[in-house]
Amino acid sequence: MIKSESSKFGKPLYILYPGDYFASKDDCIIGTITGTCIVICLYDPQRGIGGMGHFIVPGSIGTSGIISDEIASSGVTSIEYLLGEIVKLGGDRRFLRAKVFGAGYLNSGKAEEIKLSDSNIRFINEYFLIENISVERSDLGGDFRRRIYFSVKDGVIYRQILQNNEESSEFIKLEQEYVDIQFRNKKKSGRIILFE
Amino acid sequence: MGKYIMIIDDSPTIRISVEFAIKNMGYDIQQAENGVDALEKIKTIISKGNEISLCISDINMPQMDGITFIKEFRKTDKFTPVIILTTESEDNKINQGKEAGASGWIIKPFQPAELVNVVKKFLK
Ligand SMILES: [Mg+2]
Repeated sequence: MIKSESSKFGKPLYILYPGDYFASKDDCIIGTITGTCIVICLYDPQRGIGGMGHFIVPGSIGTSGIISDEIASSGVTSIEYLLGEIVKLGGDRRFLRAKVFGAGYLNSGKAEEIKLSDSNIRFINEYFLIENISVERSDLGGDFRRRIYFSVKDGVIYRQILQNNEESSEFIKLEQEYVDIQFRNKKKSGRIILFE
Repeated sequence: MGKYIMIIDDSPTIRISVEFAIKNMGYDIQQAENGVDALEKIKTIISKGNEISLCISDINMPQMDGITFIKEFRKTDKFTPVIILTTESEDNKINQGKEAGASGWIIKPFQPAELVNVVKKFLK
């Protein structure tokens, strides 16, 4: 993530790289670009706390749904990191609203990519249903990239469709690297420490 | 008399996943969404003559976080194992948990089979 103090928005701007997450209770903008990844924006309009996460669910989710699925568990954890930051700032998921973007398929709609996009869209829909967090805006799928700016205080979104890939070529490379790493580690699990 | 495992997490997805992983271990299961909710439910369970065999608790929760929950729980119960299941991985957080009286610390994501193994270890 990089922070710039003087942006065109007149407030601090945080740019997320693929796989990043960030939450704040200050009046700021969080921005990123996404192709195949999902970008979720969560905000609590009463308390002015919000955050953004950029991640991918690395593969297809089984028919049993996201609860007992190893690959989905990777996506659940990605969102947990963001929610953990929001909770630490005083937020509560019961008051949060969501806006979700991305899960595009970019290489002229290869079957594999469409399947990945579908899987990510299904994940995000099931997740927010179980969490009972209302999704106010869902802008998912399609064969293009999106640039997203999110105003933490009020949840306002500035979204741009990116047709010209040159402008974001560095970002595309980073996103592909992130996606590859997630696919290699799709069955990861965290450390276990026993105290006694 | 029932023997209960508490699952304490503010995320319904995580609570259901954990319950799904441990539901066949022969224990009754009670979910709670934060530390305050957990302490209330534990009180009710005990007042009905049942016992708490183990707690699995998140750290980052509204109203009462996992570290505070353990400290409160340990005021009346020094021995029942409390396993932390969290995204927090910093040493100083882990040490806080240990000092508060946690029995183990699992960093998300978890594999259901690994969680079952840890739970079994503490239920012996
Ligand atoms: Mg939590």
